[in-house]
Amino acid sequence: MQRISSWLPVFASVALVCGVVMAPLLLLLRVSLYEPATGRGFYTPGTFTFANYAIFADSHVLGIAGFTVLCGVAVATMVLAIAYPLGLFLCSLPPRAQSIAVGLILVPKTAGLLAMLFGLQRWLPRGMLATIIAEVYLVLPYSVIVIYIQLLNLDPTLRDAARGLGASPWQVFRRVTLPLSLPGIRLAFQFGLMWGLGAFLGPLFLGGPSETTLAVELHRQAFEYGRWPLAATEAVGLLIVVSIAAWGVPTVAQLRKVAHS
Amino acid sequence: MIRKWSIALLGWGAILGLLAPMLHTIWVSFSPDSFLTPPTNVWSVKWYLAYFGDRRWIHATSQSLLIAGMAALLAVAASAPAAWSLGKLTVARQRLLSILLLLPALIPPAALGFGLLPLVYFTGLWGTSLGLVLVHATVGLPIAFLIIRTCLPAKLGELEAAAAGLGANRWEVLRRVTLPLLTPVLLAAGIAVFVLSLNESLVSIFLATPTNETLPAVIWPQLRYSPSPMVAVASCVTALLGMIGMLIVIGILGYQRGRLIAKNTTAINS
Repeated sequence: MQRISSWLPVFASVALVCGVVMAPLLLLLRVSLYEPATGRGFYTPGTFTFANYAIFADSHVLGIAGFTVLCGVAVATMVLAIAYPLGLFLCSLPPRAQSIAVGLILVPKTAGLLAMLFGLQRWLPRGMLATIIAEVYLVLPYSVIVIYIQLLNLDPTLRDAARGLGASPWQVFRRVTLPLSLPGIRLAFQFGLMWGLGAFLGPLFLGGPSETTLAVELHRQAFEYGRWPLAATEAVGLLIVVSIAAWGVPTVAQLRKVAHS
Repeated sequence: MIRKWSIALLGWGAILGLLAPMLHTIWVSFSPDSFLTPPTNVWSVKWYLAYFGDRRWIHATSQSLLIAGMAALLAVAASAPAAWSLGKLTVARQRLLSILLLLPALIPPAALGFGLLPLVYFTGLWGTSLGLVLVHATVGLPIAFLIIRTCLPAKLGELEAAAAGLGANRWEVLRRVTLPLLTPVLLAAGIAVFVLSLNESLVSIFLATPTNETLPAVIWPQLRYSPSPMVAVASCVTALLGMIGMLIVIGILGYQRGRLIAKNTTAINS
């Protein structure tokens, strides 16, 4: 009885995530194992084959996977390079200006997503650069918030102490602020990588034919060609790449260990 | 001094750079003709009039508002008890629950959208608003959970214990202590989900049908293949609705920070 009542409050949210996130992912796995449709329909029911996964040996799909990874790494790196200084800048503002600035950073992403994409489309000719820039616009706001919260939570007395002990502002940054904010940097990079790998809106609205990511390709397979098993296979491939990014980016502790060995 | 000013210039410049594309779209939406060049001499609201005179846009707008409202209610109702009870779980379970509830924000949306396609189809939710409400609520779940978890009043547990000690039963504690203290936070979380839902394009791209299409679902094909000032107007309307919501969230969270605890502590003491 005790156990049931302690799980009751989390039931609804867990049920939603299981029903709307987990179930579709399992379904993707199953659909990726059907044979493609021969006549009508989106796949051949009642079949079971691993043959679809052969597409990852295909140079066309490999190229798309390669661009997906390139896009993810480029976006995550650029986002971090902008988000970290911006986070420092936010922290240096007075409290009232801070909340205004945070609001302004979040507005285009949360409130005006489509208006932002429309504006970018007017300015940038479709292509690789436009795709990456659009994705940076899409990922940056959340990454800034991640870093900003991390920096806000640093104990300000540590910086004061370092200053009192005679450190220059640069030394304070290099020896106190930067090392203490490493977990936030890692988290922001990791999220940036995961969101950048899943890039869909950027390449869809600002990419040309050669800026196709796995996400855009699976949308095309599903809706333009109606080949669900192939689309599902590409979706599974994308999920694997994102999972590698989620678990594969080493933690700060691991990096330290490597540095000291 | 020069250094300080140049930092401020760079920082605010970067923020302006983030806003610039959206501002450009707002500018274009006042275009007097059907070109995509921003108006200089003559500004006009004719595209706005056309927008509000078009049944398809009106239907999409009301559909968007309806789905966003329901999704916000559902997301808050589901995530609030979870965020509230998080502190009562073991550390390992806290971690597990947090990761699980953040999952909808970390899964690549295109994979999620396509995975939902057969699911929605098989469960008979195809073309219904209910299907979109469930999906939008789940996509908004992480942000609602994060907002509520971070903004839980610091002394909530103590106040609840005090009320229980004074003889209140569980239901009275919930109704007279927990809910009043949480209301502003729940409101802020709900509006945040509402705003996100209005702009939820990724999943809509995969699941929209003519009967339940939301604003982004009508906007995106036109944005991709035939952008027009009308599309600019539609995305500006979405942005405007979203910005009003965001202002309310920021207002509530800012107000919440200081006043509430003090006020309720005195109310309970008196």
